[in-house]
This record gives sequence, C-alpha cells and structure tokens, in this order.
Amino acid sequence: MIGNDLVDLLEAAQQSNWKRRGFLEKVCSLAEQRQISEAENPEELVWLFWSMKEAAYKIHSRITGIRSFAPALLDCKVDLVNSLQAQGTVCVDQQTYYSLSTIETNYIHTLAAQSQERLQTIRTEIHDQPLANYRLKNPACVSHHGRYIALVF
Amino acid sequence: MDKEELIARLKPIVSGYAQDQDALAAINEDTDFIKDLKINSANLVDVVLDVEEAFDIVIDNQSMEKMLTVKASIEVIQAKLQEK
Repeated sequence: MIGNDLVDLLEAAQQSNWKRRGFLEKVCSLAEQRQISEAENPEELVWLFWSMKEAAYKIHSRITGIRSFAPALLDCKVDLVNSLQAQGTVCVDQQTYYSLSTIETNYIHTLAAQSQERLQTIRTEIHDQPLANYRLKNPACVSHHGRYIALVF
Repeated sequence: MDKEELIARLKPIVSGYAQDQDALAAINEDTDFIKDLKINSANLVDVVLDVEEAFDIVIDNQSMEKMLTVKASIEVIQAKLQEK
C-alpha cells in the first residue's frame, strides 16, 4: 500500500496561518515543534511535516480502517535532506512508514510506503487541476490541493 | 446547550472553511467535515481552534482525534462544557 500528499505552498499560505496560537501544538510533536522553531525556513518545514503526516495517514487509516484526526501522533523524522528532497520516516502506533518528499518552489509532494523498496518503485504524476477522468488512470492514491493534483502508481 | 443550538453555533465556524456550499446549507448531525463539507484537513485544525475560542474550552489532542463529524464535535463540546 502506498500514499501521497501534495501541499500547494501558495494555497497553504492563503488558507492556513500556521503561526496561529495553538496550531502547531495540535499538529506537531514537541520534537517537531522544536525543529520548526530552529529552522531556517520554518514555513517549509511545517508543510514538509504536514505532507509526511498526511501521506502516511492515508496508508495507516486504510490498514487500520480507523479514521482519526491526530496529526501530532504521526511522528516525523527527517533523515536526509537537501534543498530538493527529504527522506524520512513517520511512526504511528508502532508502525513505521517510509517517506520521500520533493520540495519545489510551488509545492511539496510526499510519497509514503511500508518499505524502502516499495518507496523506490512508486511512479508519480503531477498535473495542473482540474484533470479530467484521472480515475481512469487507476492511481493507487490521489492528492489534490490548490493548483495541483498528484497521482501515484 | 442542546444539539440544535450547538449545530447553529458550529455552522458559522465551519462556513469559513467549507468548500461545499450545498452540504453546508444542509448541515446536520451526520455531516462529515472532510467528506461532506470538503474542509481541507489543515483547516480542520482551525475549526478546532475556533471552537475552543467560541465556547471558551480547551480541546486536548485526544478529544480532537474524534472531531471529524458534527456529531462527534457536539459530543466533545458538550463534555468539555460540563467539565467547566
């Protein structure tokens, strides 16, 4: 099973005020909050964590069959990062999901899988919205936000 | 505060984030914030923060977990109001 999540950074800046009092406490673990407060680009890290959490949650909720809104419990660790990509893990309920995020000027897109091996074989398509008949492509997971739609196979 | 009153107070809060206006107009106990109102998941945090401010309550993350529907939110709000 695989998951993905795209954050349109322009849309996110317009829709959400992550600096709002209480916002990060509801979304992030204490360790994540500390990393954000120390980051050179805190906004980028907020949305990187968010897309990692969402991508992993999409797998986790399908496996467990339970929907819940507990982003702070999805514990993100970024192991390897450069200006374009971030590799990491998301842990929740003793399960580990592996993530690979692409950081672009306009968006952050994260792939998640249950193993490193599967993560490496995911194929991604990112298109402008709206995209007609995308279900016909039979994607394993769909994420859309703002200007973009991301499909993974 | 009864159910109807709580739904009436929730409606203006979620209306700022709902992307499906028909579902918003028909809001009821069974309305799902994400599936029906198409609220962006990051904005669900704002809904919870707005509810905290509007009702002067604190919603811990364990209670927030359930707040995906109007019904679950009403239960959380009622429980927190009783604790006051």
